[in-house]
Amino acid sequence: MAITPRGVGTEIDSMLLAVISKRLDSVVREMTHTLFRTARSALINTSRDFSCSITTADCELLTADRGLPIHCAGSDLLADAMHRFHGDTIAVGDAFLHNDPYNGNTHHADYSVLVPVFYEGTHVFTAIAKAHQADCGNSQPTTYASYARDIYEEGALNFPCVRVQRDYQDNDDIIRMCRARIRVPAQWYGDYLATLGAARIGERRLQALLDKYGIDVVRRFTREWFEYSERLAIAALKEMPAGTVTGFGRHDPVPGMPDGIPVTATVTIDPDAGRAEVDLRENIDCTPTGFNESEACSRSAAIAAVLNVLPRSMPLNAGTFRRIDVRLRRNCLVGIPGPTVSCSVATTNVADRVISVTQAALADLGPEVGLAEGGMGMGPGMGVISGTDARRGGAPYINQLFLSVYGGPGSPRQDGWTAFGVPVDGGLMYRDSIEIVEQKYPILVDELRLMQDSEGAGTHRGAPGSRVTLGPTDGPMTVAYVTDGFTNPSRGVRGGQEPLRHDTFVRTASGDEIAVPKIGQVELNPGDRIIEVGGGGGGFGAPDARDPERVISDVRNGLVSRQRAREVYKVACVDGPGRQLVVDEVETRELRGTVEE
Amino acid sequence: MSSPDSGAALGSQAEVRGAIPGPMQHGLRVSVDTGGTFTDVVVSDSNGALSSAKGLTRLDDAWAGIEEALEILSAEGGLTVRGLLTNCTAISYATTMATNAILTGSIAKTAFITTQGFPDILTLRHGGRADPFDFALPFPDPYIPRSLTFELPGRINARGLEVKPFEPPEAERICHQVSELGCEAVAVCLLWSHVNPAHELAFASVLRESAPEMAMTLSHELNPVIREYARASSTALDASLKPFMQRHFNTLTEALTGAGFRGNLLAVTSAGGCLPVESIVEKPIYSIASGPSVAPVAARTYARADVKTPDVVVYDTGGTSFDVTLIRQGQIATSRDRWLGDEFTGHLLGISAVGVHSIGAGGGSIAWIDDGGLPRVGPQSAGSQPGPVCYARGGTRPTVTDAALICGYLDPEYFLGGRLRLDVDAARAALDTEIAQPLGLSIEQAAIAVLVVADEAMVGAIREITVNQGVDPRECLLVAGGGAGGLNVVNIGRELGCEVALIPRSAGTLSAVGAQFSDLVADFSRSAVMSTIEFDTPRAEDTLRELDGAIDDFVSGLASSGVVVGTIDRDFAVEARYPDQVWDLKVPVQFAGGRLGPDAVDQIATRFHEVHHRTFAVSDQSLPVECQQWTGCATVHLPKPSLAMHLGGEQDVPDREARAAWFGGEPVATRVVTGSGLRADDVVDGPAIIEEVTTTIVLPPRSSARVTSVGSYLITTFGA
Repeated sequence: MAITPRGVGTEIDSMLLAVISKRLDSVVREMTHTLFRTARSALINTSRDFSCSITTADCELLTADRGLPIHCAGSDLLADAMHRFHGDTIAVGDAFLHNDPYNGNTHHADYSVLVPVFYEGTHVFTAIAKAHQADCGNSQPTTYASYARDIYEEGALNFPCVRVQRDYQDNDDIIRMCRARIRVPAQWYGDYLATLGAARIGERRLQALLDKYGIDVVRRFTREWFEYSERLAIAALKEMPAGTVTGFGRHDPVPGMPDGIPVTATVTIDPDAGRAEVDLRENIDCTPTGFNESEACSRSAAIAAVLNVLPRSMPLNAGTFRRIDVRLRRNCLVGIPGPTVSCSVATTNVADRVISVTQAALADLGPEVGLAEGGMGMGPGMGVISGTDARRGGAPYINQLFLSVYGGPGSPRQDGWTAFGVPVDGGLMYRDSIEIVEQKYPILVDELRLMQDSEGAGTHRGAPGSRVTLGPTDGPMTVAYVTDGFTNPSRGVRGGQEPLRHDTFVRTASGDEIAVPKIGQVELNPGDRIIEVGGGGGGFGAPDARDPERVISDVRNGLVSRQRAREVYKVACVDGPGRQLVVDEVETRELRGTVEE
Repeated sequence: MSSPDSGAALGSQAEVRGAIPGPMQHGLRVSVDTGGTFTDVVVSDSNGALSSAKGLTRLDDAWAGIEEALEILSAEGGLTVRGLLTNCTAISYATTMATNAILTGSIAKTAFITTQGFPDILTLRHGGRADPFDFALPFPDPYIPRSLTFELPGRINARGLEVKPFEPPEAERICHQVSELGCEAVAVCLLWSHVNPAHELAFASVLRESAPEMAMTLSHELNPVIREYARASSTALDASLKPFMQRHFNTLTEALTGAGFRGNLLAVTSAGGCLPVESIVEKPIYSIASGPSVAPVAARTYARADVKTPDVVVYDTGGTSFDVTLIRQGQIATSRDRWLGDEFTGHLLGISAVGVHSIGAGGGSIAWIDDGGLPRVGPQSAGSQPGPVCYARGGTRPTVTDAALICGYLDPEYFLGGRLRLDVDAARAALDTEIAQPLGLSIEQAAIAVLVVADEAMVGAIREITVNQGVDPRECLLVAGGGAGGLNVVNIGRELGCEVALIPRSAGTLSAVGAQFSDLVADFSRSAVMSTIEFDTPRAEDTLRELDGAIDDFVSGLASSGVVVGTIDRDFAVEARYPDQVWDLKVPVQFAGGRLGPDAVDQIATRFHEVHHRTFAVSDQSLPVECQQWTGCATVHLPKPSLAMHLGGEQDVPDREARAAWFGGEPVATRVVTGSGLRADDVVDGPAIIEEVTTTIVLPPRSSARVTSVGSYLITTFGA
């Protein structure tokens, strides 16, 4: 059926388009619900570190409703690997386990399960569930092997899209391998079942959809849905200012790279053509660290940055992505990694920098575009904790925490989103419940608070960072983490400021505060505490142009001190009626230099 | 939720000692649903027959709307309002007043007391947001601002042991400050208080000493569940409502007493039952969203009368929202995931409430075309003010109601029984400009497109609460309510594969009718964690006996409030999970005479595996089951009216003039039937439209409706 230049061709098309797309989103939501409710590790069943998606048989992403930004543009690569490795042998009842970052996965800790969906013998869709594991068999108890000079030192099990089920039955060889090499195997197996269950639920629902509409309608839908999404992207890009800008940034020093990791992105917006391009090829070659990006993460980070600055939200699919060109090169740290390079930390730190640098560079195009940099993350409050639990007869435990609050970036229209997480999750992930983590793991959290004066000041300020204090209760505990943003804090744009530096230290049982590596792992004994401070987002626009009422509101609520309000935002306050702080209009005008002569 | 037939097998039934048949069985019962626009009032007379009327809601005076409707009803019965109320033994009152008080900020100035170190529980919620790419959305304020948040020293750990002591001087200082700031209410939620409430209790006694009049809610009393945000949010909502709802109920009680009412005023709750006013003012959070919570009670009652199916999907389509609830095996679904406002940006109720899933799709939802050229419906709504374009009250954007009018489904002269005349030309003009022209369609085609898109959103919402729970909607009976519920019931049924649907004659006032059929329901819960392989029977029995005792106290409280009760059901259950999971599924527990049944542990495990498999497509029978939270639910049965309602009283009412309605892309000459002329067993074949005063039922070709013995319409969606 032809598409008219106006848009939708016939009433049938526009209705079916709306109906089937909603149905597909609801399939993904069902998959998501299943995985969330049945998983065993807190990072899946509480903080939601996973994504579900559907690709076409041609390996194009069809939908990833509420998928994490850093996972969004990788599903097509996963499906492509399935075809390359298994071709004509793909059959009903198959499921594939894929965690290989050299063949389209994000990093080794993300276990993807792919289930091909058939209709009358023809492969039509692939249902994909991808979840971050609490452990993936690394040589150290962390899923972020910052120390790894290569894949061998990293130590993860690698599954390059292997057939984990045939005829709906597990290949026990693979299950035994995982149970032998992954810490807390029962937890892993429960999470595997949850992931598999999600993909199988997707399979059932997609088969029902095919039964209802038939393969021809569904194929036509797919084609037109991509075209529709592309039109949305074009319309949004046409509202953007034209130009090419290059952004530079630098990740903090990491083991083996004392000057940190430089990150460069050149972005072009071409409103007339309705295209955006992100060129990441100027970045350095791959490094002997765990911080190299996988291809999936490089692409997803670039696309996420563009989606962040578009005036409206787009459907997450290949049609939208057609309008965002991402230029990558081989053996590039932000690009396509070579075969033995470690990508263990690919989903967070450098990826957070890529998103931040790209969206911040776009702020140079005009006052109403771009974003400041979001909070840099991955301190101990988001660390991987492990040890043995005396409360459970010494059973081993391992899990990633999601306690810290990292601040969202200031935008042209709004303050940063508090409870943001990090740029790669865009605030989509949930937070740990203190009580749930204390029940599941032998830790005590002493403190979790938004921190005063930790925000990146601006006309629209970044969201504040936090202060998190925690330690083990019943025996030694290892905490592994990869804090960024101490040496190079997130930046503000267009006169917006950077947030408080992101720091990590330990207070021992005897009360001494000791410095610990910003990136690495520490052993804590009962009574010891590890403390993380900061992680706020950068500000957008000059702080002294901020609405004084907003400043006062922050002062009233203890997020900004009176002193900072005066010195940085140039706003003075006085006690008003009912002892409520109010703006001192006269003094504020003086401070801001807006007194009329 | 419990039901007499399914509950009997699991709980124990007992006659309340001292309960005597009182006037309640013989007098009038009145039920009220005070909504944002209309106040629906239903009266059941001494024969149990129902009649209903609507008044206009006045948000500053609930009695005004009730009185207006009562005037209509009493006049019909040849009575005065005073005469009617004097003979009335009980009023069940569902209300949007609590919700409205929160939305308009007329709640009390409330302080939040939290464990030292954790001032941001209400700010951070459970994290997450709907759209990761939206940087224009403001971060929502916490329910209680940081400036009214106080950190109390002391700490209890996961095992209920004290890690840091409570500090009385610090508590006194905080109480002093709270009073100084002019707070009227205090919400206290400390970490692990549901396991060890010592510090919450210690603070409460300091506060009572320091400010005896201060309203206060303690989290371990209101909602003793794990997860600090859920507990804190329900505590904050509850405390903030106490002064307002206390005043509200006092004012209403005075007005009712002044008008001659001498019976029991019962408040409908979000758990789908009623509580005496004395109880609801102690836990006013249960008054939030009470109206939509009893619509399923009505649906269940009507469904039982006509169709022998245990699984029911009930939905109510209003002006702005589509509320849908699942009734499974006769049990109305409950949920702890209800939000006031949207998830992520609203406030979590946190309590166990009727599982009403609500989406922004109703008669007032606005149709529009997006950048890519796709027709969309909602979530923006014209509401009742200005309302759809055809209301001619200033609405300019086309809505679902306008589309239904253009398709010939609504009669412009007979909307709300002729109380509101609809402007077809205005509706057509708006739909033409905003939808038809951009899509290159005729106005009627565009109207159909709008209705199809709206149908799909509703179908999606129903799928979420059925297939997500492992329920096949094809095996469910659909019950439709609300003013707009009958317009697309056949289409929704066909889309879901449901062969039959039921529309009660009272569909337009489903919640108020539900309140007529609701019982006194109270839920209690206690935490006692144990595994089925290391099952601590004495501790489980102690916990259940505590719950049983709480039910006893509730019942004796009723007696002292003068409520006359019949039988009570006691249903016990446990919320359980596999090891390391964190989300629970509820399974029933056999408990009678203070003892667990002999094979109770095996039954818990077996039932859990079953429920898990049904819900999530997987189960693992090799694993033990971890029991977390034990619950006891008391259902105190109240006398019920009969279902008969104005059955075919009017003889030989002729059809109205046939008109063209659009089905399958073309206009079809369609019979228009007046509902009041139909009698039991009458059959209406589609294409036809049945007009009731408060709802309109559209029967496309090949569907049909039969009037049941209680006057409901039983609809066959796939006819020959």
